[in-house]
Amino acid sequence: MRGALSVLLAAALWEIAGRTFLDNPLFFAPLSAVLEKMSELWSSGQLQIDIAVSFEEFIIGFVIASIVAIAIGVLMASSKALCQFLDPWVSMLYSTPFVAVAPLLTLWLGIGLAAHVAVVFIVVVFPVLINTYSGLANSDRDLIEVARSFGASQIQIFSKIRFPGALPFIVAGLRQGVARGLVGVVVAELFGSHAGLGYLILISGQEFDPAGLFVGIVLFALAGIGAVEAIRFVERRIAPWRAQDNLS
Amino acid sequence: MTGGDRVASDGWKLEVRNLSKSYGKDGREIEALRDVNFSIADGEFVSIVGASGCGKTTLLRLLDGLIPPTTGTIFLDGKLMRGPGYGRALVFQQDRLLPWRNVLSNVSFGPEIQHRNGKAEKERAAHYVDLVGLRGFEKHYPHELSGGMRQRVNLARALNAEPEVLLLDEPFASLDAQTREIMQSELLRITAEARKTAIFVTHQIDEAVYLSDRVLVFTVRPGRLKEEVRIDLPRPRQLDVKRTPEFVRYTNHIWHLIEQEVREGIGLEAREAAALHA
Repeated sequence: MRGALSVLLAAALWEIAGRTFLDNPLFFAPLSAVLEKMSELWSSGQLQIDIAVSFEEFIIGFVIASIVAIAIGVLMASSKALCQFLDPWVSMLYSTPFVAVAPLLTLWLGIGLAAHVAVVFIVVVFPVLINTYSGLANSDRDLIEVARSFGASQIQIFSKIRFPGALPFIVAGLRQGVARGLVGVVVAELFGSHAGLGYLILISGQEFDPAGLFVGIVLFALAGIGAVEAIRFVERRIAPWRAQDNLS
Repeated sequence: MTGGDRVASDGWKLEVRNLSKSYGKDGREIEALRDVNFSIADGEFVSIVGASGCGKTTLLRLLDGLIPPTTGTIFLDGKLMRGPGYGRALVFQQDRLLPWRNVLSNVSFGPEIQHRNGKAEKERAAHYVDLVGLRGFEKHYPHELSGGMRQRVNLARALNAEPEVLLLDEPFASLDAQTREIMQSELLRITAEARKTAIFVTHQIDEAVYLSDRVLVFTVRPGRLKEEVRIDLPRPRQLDVKRTPEFVRYTNHIWHLIEQEVREGIGLEAREAAALHA
């Protein structure tokens, strides 16, 4: 209730600001102008294309990165040698600002889907990997002992205790990955693209069209909210016992 | 005494022969159990009591096969026991339920590990949920249950593995006094109905006397069998048996056996703490 009120208040402020002290159409646009631009782009069919392109880049990069990250995380948790071998790289690469390599990837892969997917992949893979690994590495000793007591094999201990125990961590990693992946899409498209919401932001900026720019920003914000809510939904389903203490 | 893998079982369900266990802790060798011998008959309820540090939990972990003995042997139905699994189930001190599984699914864990997932298994799991008084809570998750209810699930999970011997490690220690009393009488009813042999570790003397056919009193570290007390109170026992003179005589007797050990145990802990900080 208060949340909705807060959003409405911000929308009203935006509109008022755009009509009074920020009324220079070269730098700012009131909410009504942004919505108008949005429906204009929609009826021309361009907006649907931009959304589809950005969505495709995000989803392909995100899914591949998640699968690869979870697989490597599982391997690292199962093999001490592999873990020690990969650990310095993972720790180092985790904190590297990967958007910085976006131009390099564009240089290698050309402007288009491949480069953009690669950027999303590289920013998503590390948070998911680190969370998967730490979730598995911090398995509950007591629960493993329960499984042993019932005569469980190593594979059963993994599939019935360690992996389900790590799922909340993995989902938390996916949540971080979603946020980073969306940034990845924007950045990748800003560095070179022919379509997409990042492209819309790029050309709107170059054409001094703040309304078009805000259309891109608002849609990215909505995508972020939607994706995080979707992950939260999954989180509540797979880890109901943690749902209360996971408000962050 | 025990020549080879098999011995002629004298009808004992469980036999413990010359069992000793030492382990390293903080770079020092700790002797937890020394030369423990006892036998338990089929269907018998035996409690193990002793001061803290008498190796009670170590003994139970040895009996469950979670850890190997340093020396000595354990026979189950006359067969040498190796490793955990079939024949025994452990009721843990903390309930240790899998938080991502509901009650029924937690109770089904043992058979599932043994790759038994049939219709009969489902019915049996439901039966044990019912037996511990949790009908209607099958779909609840552990975080939605009280401590007493979680311990019931813990017990049902062990029973549903259909063990020959039920091992219980102070399962009611974390419960409040009233819940504990209820759980004690429930445990008596359940073990009688399910006809289980049970080994119950506790430091509560009245709990041991109330539940048991026999109480094994252990010395403080290294844990040795100090005395065996047969409890000749009639069954079925109601909670008010605890106020009879016979009951009080048993608890007094066991307390006198343990008192000295408790004092020694406190001294031992103090010396160890001092050694650790020296």
